Amino acid sequence: NDDCLLTRGKKYSSARWRLDGRALQKLPVHMGLVVTEEEPSYADMASLVVWCMAVGISYVSVYDHNGIFKRNNSRLMDEILKQQQELLGLDCSKYTVEFANQDKADQVLNCQSALKVLSPEDGKADIVKAAQNFCQLVAQQRRTYTDLDVNVLDNLLSSTNGFPDPDLVLKFGPVDSTLGFLPWHIRLTEIISLPSHLNISYEDFFSALRHYAACEQRWGK
Amino acid sequence: MSWIREGELTIIERFCGNIIKAGPMPKHVAFIMDGNRRYAQKCHVERQQGHSQGFDKLAQTLRWCLNLGIREVTVYAFSIENFKRSKEEVDGLMDLARQKFSRLLEEQENLKKHGVCIRVLGDLPLLPLDIQELIAQAVLATRNYNKCFLNVCFAYTSRHEISNAVREMAWGVEQGLLEPSDVSESLLDKCLYTNNSPDPDLLIRTSGEVRLSDFLLWQTSHSCLVFQSVLWPEYSFWNLCEAILRFQMNYSALQKARDSYMEERRRQQMERDQAYVTKKLQQEGFASHGDSQRRWTLLQKCTAMREERIQGFLQALEHKREDFFERLCTVSA
Repeated sequence: NDDCLLTRGKKYSSARWRLDGRALQKLPVHMGLVVTEEEPSYADMASLVVWCMAVGISYVSVYDHNGIFKRNNSRLMDEILKQQQELLGLDCSKYTVEFANQDKADQVLNCQSALKVLSPEDGKADIVKAAQNFCQLVAQQRRTYTDLDVNVLDNLLSSTNGFPDPDLVLKFGPVDSTLGFLPWHIRLTEIISLPSHLNISYEDFFSALRHYAACEQRWGK
Repeated sequence: MSWIREGELTIIERFCGNIIKAGPMPKHVAFIMDGNRRYAQKCHVERQQGHSQGFDKLAQTLRWCLNLGIREVTVYAFSIENFKRSKEEVDGLMDLARQKFSRLLEEQENLKKHGVCIRVLGDLPLLPLDIQELIAQAVLATRNYNKCFLNVCFAYTSRHEISNAVREMAWGVEQGLLEPSDVSESLLDKCLYTNNSPDPDLLIRTSGEVRLSDFLLWQTSHSCLVFQSVLWPEYSFWNLCEAILRFQMNYSALQKARDSYMEERRRQQMERDQAYVTKKLQQEGFASHGDSQRRWTLLQKCTAMREERIQGFLQALEHKREDFFERLCTVSA
């Protein structure tokens, strides 16, 4: 049952979105949307989030190095809900977002995707917090220093609880840096740069996904 | 010198170098030298040849960096993940390392003349013992040179490095040298293998891949990342200039982002310290917002004591690391 919706001058059926996702050889499981521009746009970020979910990406994180999205979380959420309505219309319930760091439990109907809004404090500061917690345990003689290895530290981190490491980061803006986005978690993340998130089109978004689907990963071998 | 190609820039290279040097220059450049095997395939030679050419290209690139006044370079030579490769390839890479480190030790006069400090960063106990010994000799022999610095990441991943740093701090707590509340970003910085270097200003990865592959994840959070499609053995002076130009275009934005990050970090540390002082005063029965003189005095005292603990801990850590290398040298003597 195709509902045709007008989106930025183009007609998209809601069934089309999922088909687009399935047409790709591979889809990221966790997509990071990193904005390096000084003035983030709530409407454009909301579109990106909704496109990610519509296309079938299970985990989405949003980041800007000034923590603007995080501080104005509810504004972003409202914009996302609005865009969901506009872009997905009556099929809204199928694409309902679980707001991983919000208490909008009434929004959670049929969880397809999870969203986190992150800032620099979820990066190095989270690693430091985990280190402090471990050192507390050592001070209390409940652990010894040799207990700590890569896996133990990984499990002590909390900023991305329940999320796998990002497979793909779409980085928007002119700055050639991750600006503190989840340094621990991006060890194998593909980083694709786009010039701006302002007035971003679905075509540009999707072509980045196509680019990702084509890349070969050797895992050190 | 085998590790740093002799020679000066050509006239055209010098001309372009001077133009570039008019702008801000990176002080520390990191390289992910990717593409040796694809190069070997392209030229129909053995993989080992590709790696050997890769080393030659490293020597040439170090020369270009020095000519441009870039005095610190860090390279990703061998990842812990690379142990997963075929035995043949891993043995080949280990042999290459043996060859190159032995050569290095034969050229000690040259290293002294050019003041090259060699550091090898990684989980060295994972390597064959004889290579560990060669590395120890190279590191100890050049440890006091300071004209330029070459950091070779060997048996390295960033996650292992960060975990190791946290483990060292936990060791410090266990030894009674540190309090858990002393653990901070800046202390973690000082426990990494790279603690003697500033963060890289510029990270370059060749061969077209656009990922960090577990290399210097902590240190490059605010570095300029440049991904170039050229295969490493084909890297040219112009590729290097191109990367430096990208660095220059990003310079003010990155400077600004770094400064605001450090400011926020200082602010949060100050907040934590104030909270600690408040708690302390309450415990001692004083009103938390009472005497500002008493607050200030307590704050100074706590900060000074923490500084003292941290200095003691860092000295012990330095000692532990030197010990590790020295013990390897006496084994081979």
